[in-house]
Amino acid sequence: MDPQLTEVSQQFERFKAAFARKDYNTCSDLLSQLKVLLTKFTSLPPLFENSPNAAKELTIARDIYEHAVVLSVKTEDQDAFERDFFQLKPYYVDARNRIPSSPQENLILGLNLLRLLVQNRIAEFHTELELLSSATLEDPCIKHAVELEQSFMEGAYNRVLSARQTAPDATYVYFMDLLAKTIRDEIAGCSEKAYDYVSISDARQMLLFSSDQELLTYVKEEHPDWEVKEGFVVFQKAKETAPCKEIPSLQLINQTLSYARELERIV
Amino acid sequence: MTQDVEMKDNQTPTESVVSAPTSTLQNLKEIAALIDTGSYTKEVRRIARAVRLTVGLRRQLTGSVISSFLDFALVPGSEAHTRLSSFVPKSDEHDMEVDTASSTSQAPPKHLPAELEIYCYFIVLLLLIDQKKYSEAKACSSASIARLKNVNRRTVDVIASKLYFYYSLSYELTDDLAEIRSTLLALHHSATLRHDELGQETLLNLLLRNYLHYNLYDQAEKLRSKAPRFEAHSNQQFCRYLFYLGKIRTIQLEYTDAKESLLQAARKAPVASLGFRIQCNKWAIIVRLLLGEIPERSIFTQKGMEKPLRPYFELTNAVRIGDLELFGNVQEKFAETFAKDRTHNLIVRLRHNVIRTGLRNISISYSRISLQDVAQKLRLNSANPVADAESIVAKAIRDGAIDATIDHKNGCMVSKETGDIYSTNEPQTAFNSRIAFCLNMHNEAVRALRFPPNTHKEKESDEKRREKKQQEEELAKYMAEEDDDDF
Repeated sequence: MDPQLTEVSQQFERFKAAFARKDYNTCSDLLSQLKVLLTKFTSLPPLFENSPNAAKELTIARDIYEHAVVLSVKTEDQDAFERDFFQLKPYYVDARNRIPSSPQENLILGLNLLRLLVQNRIAEFHTELELLSSATLEDPCIKHAVELEQSFMEGAYNRVLSARQTAPDATYVYFMDLLAKTIRDEIAGCSEKAYDYVSISDARQMLLFSSDQELLTYVKEEHPDWEVKEGFVVFQKAKETAPCKEIPSLQLINQTLSYARELERIV
Repeated sequence: MTQDVEMKDNQTPTESVVSAPTSTLQNLKEIAALIDTGSYTKEVRRIARAVRLTVGLRRQLTGSVISSFLDFALVPGSEAHTRLSSFVPKSDEHDMEVDTASSTSQAPPKHLPAELEIYCYFIVLLLLIDQKKYSEAKACSSASIARLKNVNRRTVDVIASKLYFYYSLSYELTDDLAEIRSTLLALHHSATLRHDELGQETLLNLLLRNYLHYNLYDQAEKLRSKAPRFEAHSNQQFCRYLFYLGKIRTIQLEYTDAKESLLQAARKAPVASLGFRIQCNKWAIIVRLLLGEIPERSIFTQKGMEKPLRPYFELTNAVRIGDLELFGNVQEKFAETFAKDRTHNLIVRLRHNVIRTGLRNISISYSRISLQDVAQKLRLNSANPVADAESIVAKAIRDGAIDATIDHKNGCMVSKETGDIYSTNEPQTAFNSRIAFCLNMHNEAVRALRFPPNTHKEKESDEKRREKKQQEEELAKYMAEEDDDDF
């Protein structure tokens, strides 16, 4: 076998061992070394030359990047995730015909979708979705992310939270936690518009706090305009907009001026 | 033996057939003369007229006509001639007869302008594509592109852009679009360098089409935002550009922009281009549904569009009523149509709209309704309907879709009284938007007054591209003649 290939495989084994031990620092170091070694292979993107070992090199490189992605989830580094995912993408898209598909492909794609959802990049979420074939969309990992986005858009937040239990893989847990935080903010926002007042126990349930104390700290920090009295959380409804008696004069003046100007233009 | 028999059989039809191809041949020769003068005097509009005349002749082109034309235009035995002749199918047996009859009377032209050679490539391509010989069309178009690289004259631009179009088309019909992406990019690059604006436009559209074919919306958007923009030269290219732009914007969730582009594309497209308009309308309908407005019924009853738009009609119905179950049924029933149109993902997004509309209807009809009933009416089909309904209602209230409050203790939704709307600023803002729209329309109409309205539409053909080309050439010719008059 090619000496370079052997060296890479050995390093990779060491990497996998460190990963199993949860020794993430060693993993990161080994990963950087592996990436440098990978640059020596010419059969990888963007060159895609047809060397004799091309298939093996492509497979190994892809495995390395997949592990890198999972590592970045464990170390909770979202930028690294994005970088590694972008490097991984050509293997899925362009090299599809050269090597058999990876078993982890759908998992990684699902993780990426989830990450875009958490970062609220919905436009990119949908763009990525378009790239997937209908067969991929049936896969549980992808389906999970898609249904999550649906429920999020509709506002059925409790469905989102229950989906946390049904996550297809342990790596999803990190993103689900982040999502939980976003949801809490959303629920708070919706509640203050929708309810006049809620009892403290109900509020605690809705906002997913385990104790009243947490609820009170949350209210004090994030929503100082909510009042807590007599065991109820009262959302500030006093700012009911009375039918506005003032005329927005500046706006009206601007509009009328533009009408005059346009009408003058009509010959 | 068999060959002799065939020759004898073809003797009698030959005489009658000789006259028909001759007239087409005559036309082709006139066109060749036109191209000659055009290239000599460097006038683009003559070439444009030549191309327009060719489009009219498209139906009458056959293998024999083209071979005789090739013999006339190019020196027989020259490299170009042999190359092109190899592409022309020799299916007609009376090729020989016609050749000897016509070629003796004409003397080949003294010099061979490059335009004429490119033009020959063009008509050969037309023939191959019309006869559905796609792999040969592929080979021919690649050869023409290679030849085009050496020619750098503005007069060739018109023919060149047509060639680019058919190049892309032949690859698309053989399902090989990804291969030519780099070639198209290189061509676009050189077109920009040479200030070949028509070529630039055509190539940009072809590239966008290429990316969108493979759903690479990200890359398409990147290209589109970086490519240089200018006044559209050709109405059809502009329509295509608007359509692709609309599609990209829809996927990126920018529905207002998308709606504008798609509706403009549908309006500007010539009436004869039915297929294109149907596509535009399909996407426009979905975008309007996603924006929350219901398209009018008259859109679905436009001439020729009733059957293709039928699934979308039923979809609109489901969204309008706000019934999730009906929506689900329609989605399943027409799943393949939607998959073919690639609108499947967009329709999945519509579910949210259906729920919103349903909620709105409920909130208007009831002053107070329990959340249990809300969940039932919405047919939410979930494990925990009341909690779901509660969060959905809360979100809808926050987004301003409905005007209500939730009474958590009693588990019901209380709608607010809608106050007297005339005492607020609402009428003023509504009037303002309408006035602005009318004034805009007036300004655009004034600006568009330079172009004559497309009143003459021939309904003879249903090939959308041919009609489009004809219109375009007529317009260009009209414009060019107008310019002449100014001097």
